[in-house]
Amino acid sequence: MLTVVKNQIKVTLLSIKYGLMRQMLNKTTFITNIIFMLLNNASFILQWVILYSLKDNIGGYTFKQVLLLWGFAAGTYGVSHFFFKRVFSLSDIINTGKLDASIIQPKNILLSVITSDVEASALGDLIYGYIMLFICDISISSFLLFTLFIICGGIIMTSIAIIYGSLAFWFNNTEMLADTGNSLMVNFATYPEGIFKGVVKTLFYTLIPIGFANYIPVQVLNDFNVFGLLAVLGVTTLILCMAIAIFYKGLKNYSSSNLMSARI
Amino acid sequence: MRKYLYIYKSELMSQLQYLFNLVFGFIGCGIILFIFFNLWHYIYSDSSQIINGYSVDQMIWYVIITEIIWGACMGRTLCRKISNDVRGGNIAYNINKPYNYIGYSLASHLGTATVKGIIYTVLALILGLVMMGNFPTTNVLELVLVLISSILAVVISSLFTIFIGLFSFFIEDSSPFYWLYSKFILVIGVIFPIEYFPNVVQPFLKFSPIYVVSYGPAKLFVNFNINDCISIFVAQFIYILVAYLLCSLVYKKGVRRLNVNGG
Repeated sequence: MLTVVKNQIKVTLLSIKYGLMRQMLNKTTFITNIIFMLLNNASFILQWVILYSLKDNIGGYTFKQVLLLWGFAAGTYGVSHFFFKRVFSLSDIINTGKLDASIIQPKNILLSVITSDVEASALGDLIYGYIMLFICDISISSFLLFTLFIICGGIIMTSIAIIYGSLAFWFNNTEMLADTGNSLMVNFATYPEGIFKGVVKTLFYTLIPIGFANYIPVQVLNDFNVFGLLAVLGVTTLILCMAIAIFYKGLKNYSSSNLMSARI
Repeated sequence: MRKYLYIYKSELMSQLQYLFNLVFGFIGCGIILFIFFNLWHYIYSDSSQIINGYSVDQMIWYVIITEIIWGACMGRTLCRKISNDVRGGNIAYNINKPYNYIGYSLASHLGTATVKGIIYTVLALILGLVMMGNFPTTNVLELVLVLISSILAVVISSLFTIFIGLFSFFIEDSSPFYWLYSKFILVIGVIFPIEYFPNVVQPFLKFSPIYVVSYGPAKLFVNFNINDCISIFVAQFIYILVAYLLCSLVYKKGVRRLNVNGG
């Protein structure tokens, strides 16, 4: 069992490594993608500078806490889009029969599909996340906690994308639904939860779980509490299990389209 | 000119087949509007408060108009299309046709933008009415001028996106440059009116693309003024000319470097 897990991790890391090497073929483009993504994220600081010039506290967050929230949002996005890029085109992969190539491999199908490519610009998001952390707090404990939380957040984001993507096993034309569902996670993630009221807040801890990916981590990093940490770990495990179960349940409905294509 | 109208019409008819997708795609825009509705209501302590000359309702309507224009522009799609045309060699099928590639790209893109713009306008105005219960202006002439200014804004933004997309002749992927352009417009122009920036910066912003691409039409909608209207239209026509010349220059320089290896 341990050897199987070890082999699977090795294959997954190799897949990511080769994906990264493909991206690095053109070094100028690779570096430009990362640098411009950093600048792209940094431009939003201006938005918050203006907003905080109007009010000292927005939705219960200080300016530094908003930077940290941005750090978590970028880091979470970076983990998910760098390591599991293909999960965001899962609907298309299922609809066009491109799953065949992964099914015939003697390794985990889901991991094989979602780790088959990486997004270079997502490295820029990851770096930006850590820059925001260092602006707010420099300590080994916060670095370790931040790393743990962005991995959990990345897994939550990926799991939600697996669930939306897996709908393609049962329904046609689910790409737009999956895109909208995934963008919900990104759009809300950079705004303090205190500006929202009522049902929307409940959604952040249920259907759009950015509460566990972003809001609780900010609270824990500012004022450590073990319950917050356990809640994030627990929900991450739960959503991941749900996503895996839904994917494999749907996979039973999958039928090959006999797609013939070359994988280069 | 007729051939470009034909390209525009063909793309428009083609997009009408995907109306449901466009309506569904409005959800993302609706979420942004919902976020800003909440954000501005949090910032403004009461509805009568005026910050930098804008009430809370005016600020939300401002964001609604700029989001409609930005949504209709679909810059990322256009930039990726041009980038892919250049990188993939598809451009070879366009340069030997009896039309100008820039004109073709613009006409084709405006066909898509028209359908999306109409759908977004209808849905966003309904959403705005539901959220705020009022309209900043009901004067038909003012609304027509806002509409014309918005159309010109989409044309200018599309030309700038084509200009950025054509960078692919020189570097493999021009998307990063588009990210910067889009964030410049989005953060400075779509979210805040120019009056929200320090006095020192405001004159520079009035000469920047933000004035013609987002601020102008939205400002006219929330607080119409004939003098502003004239200066915005003049600036928009100048920008169309400049943006087109820039596109032609980059295209002429870039197409000489093109090397298509069979197909």
